[in-house]
Amino acid sequence: MTGWNDNQNPDGGWAYGRGSSWTEPTAYALLAQLAAGISTDNEKAVFEGGLRFLRATQRADGGWSPQPGVSESTWVTALVTLLPAKAIGEQRTERAIAWLSGQTGRESGWAFRLQQRLGGNDEPYPEAWPWFPGAAAWVIPTSFGILALERAIDRGASSRLRGRVSTAKEFLFDRMCADGGWNHGSNRALGRDGDSYPETTGIALVALHGAPASPQLERAKAAARRHLASCRTAEGVAWLRMGLAAHGERAESPRVLVPRTTVDRALLALADAPRNPLLKAA
Amino acid sequence: MPVLTRREMLAASAAALTLTRCSKSPQKSAYTPPRAPVANVSIVRAPAYNMDVYDTVFRMVSDHNLNVRGKRVVLKPNLVEFDANTVINTHPMIVHAAYEAFRRLGAASVRIAEGPGHRRGTLDLADAAGYFGTIPKFEESFTDLNLDEVAKRDIVTPVSGLKSLYLPHTVLDCDLLVSLPKLKTHHWAGATLAMKNLFGLVPGGVYGWPKNVLHWAGIPESIVDLHRLFPKQFTIVDGIIGMEGNGPIQGTAKHAGLLIAGSDVVAVDATCCRIMGINPVKIDYLRIARGEDQLGEAAFHQVGERIADVRTNFELVDPWKGMIRA
Repeated sequence: MTGWNDNQNPDGGWAYGRGSSWTEPTAYALLAQLAAGISTDNEKAVFEGGLRFLRATQRADGGWSPQPGVSESTWVTALVTLLPAKAIGEQRTERAIAWLSGQTGRESGWAFRLQQRLGGNDEPYPEAWPWFPGAAAWVIPTSFGILALERAIDRGASSRLRGRVSTAKEFLFDRMCADGGWNHGSNRALGRDGDSYPETTGIALVALHGAPASPQLERAKAAARRHLASCRTAEGVAWLRMGLAAHGERAESPRVLVPRTTVDRALLALADAPRNPLLKAA
Repeated sequence: MPVLTRREMLAASAAALTLTRCSKSPQKSAYTPPRAPVANVSIVRAPAYNMDVYDTVFRMVSDHNLNVRGKRVVLKPNLVEFDANTVINTHPMIVHAAYEAFRRLGAASVRIAEGPGHRRGTLDLADAAGYFGTIPKFEESFTDLNLDEVAKRDIVTPVSGLKSLYLPHTVLDCDLLVSLPKLKTHHWAGATLAMKNLFGLVPGGVYGWPKNVLHWAGIPESIVDLHRLFPKQFTIVDGIIGMEGNGPIQGTAKHAGLLIAGSDVVAVDATCCRIMGINPVKIDYLRIARGEDQLGEAAFHQVGERIADVRTNFELVDPWKGMIRA
């Protein structure tokens, strides 16, 4: 692990590029440091600085906002809970999981479902996670919700969370694009199939790690391989490699990639790591 | 309004859900469209993306007598997808021409800024769209609005379900916001032009990808509320090659050979609708923003080409056919 202190802010967090600290790049930077190993005093100090930022910015409701200036907890809460509970604090993590388990996409809330039923629509809307409270569920926050609750279950959290995980995985399969991958979550509109994206395909595959072999999963892996052959973004390639690795398939980066943000840099490091802290309790 | 099948209702975004069920009725708002002065809207022929575009854009901006000397200008193109070979994104030459024009007119700073609604790698997206290749030192002039510093702004008498929005400092601090949209049809909104282009100001770093809070608050109403938050605007619409059919992403190329510009963004959008063969009164966000009585062709002063001489009907997808055709 080298260089994470180069652009660490005095508050201990990281920006996406330059500027104030945000929760997402800070959490990824810490996960990347964990994956690389933390041994020297300097590495420990840098890591502890990041934790200090996150501890200081947890909100009273248990969640995290995207950055301290935003007064609303959002999906980034799930990302923070992927850090070891011992590092961030076990009670803090429990409160975060409690916040997260209370969040669903607005379309699966009782008010919307009642409205739909009165309109003659009995379709189920699987509970999953939104980016921002009060909005619909989407693929990326749902994938992180799955990873976060699975981690909590591993730590001994209430088994009722298994239901949320199972339903959220249904949501992912339901939102799969016709080409086998995932986009942000709108797989078909006005009679036309939507195309999948590299990064969302990789993230969804990571969230579906451990899923039993199925034709759907095979199609998803095939879509990931196709994307990997042509993808030119650091974020996309990193997630595709992690997605395939989550299903036992090691894939090399097809080209040298330029990380544009702190998140890119962290994701490339995570994809190269022999052990991915997104998947296993560290 | 588009009518969706149940299956599509389930699969599509909350945008669809919002359109069919959840949109806040504008009639409930206390907002009354202001009486607007007669605005100049320029329509200029520009047959192709070539070096002539630079002079055309400079003349268009100059003709509107914008006092930008010493001002901070932000150019907001429409960057949507990784594809340089389609007509999804604002052509980089239009952005560069606008950049050069405002610099030449004495702007203290000109920044290019965008926050795409679906894809997170904005710089990679700009690269794939040809921006790095066309605009020298593009990265130094560009701000990713999805990841910019933000501040909260209250919306006074909102017409949407929004009471406030976090918005990027780059656009909150500028003196003139220049929307550089593509001339496109849109499967949920009918048409996507300068006003709809402002969805890209809303930071994905706060609200996610897509910016779904806007859909739930009502798409047309959110467009109007965002527009009202930025009173100092100018727009140049890239109508050299637009998109018809299932826009804003899956439509097909449509050559119109035009650039359309003006300071009254509602007037420019209404004019663009007429050029595409769309009745602007039938576009919800235009009607809410200005009221039916102020969207007539006579309400605006057309400069350059006449609409009747350049009108070229854009194909519309099924839900809109017969509903918005002028």
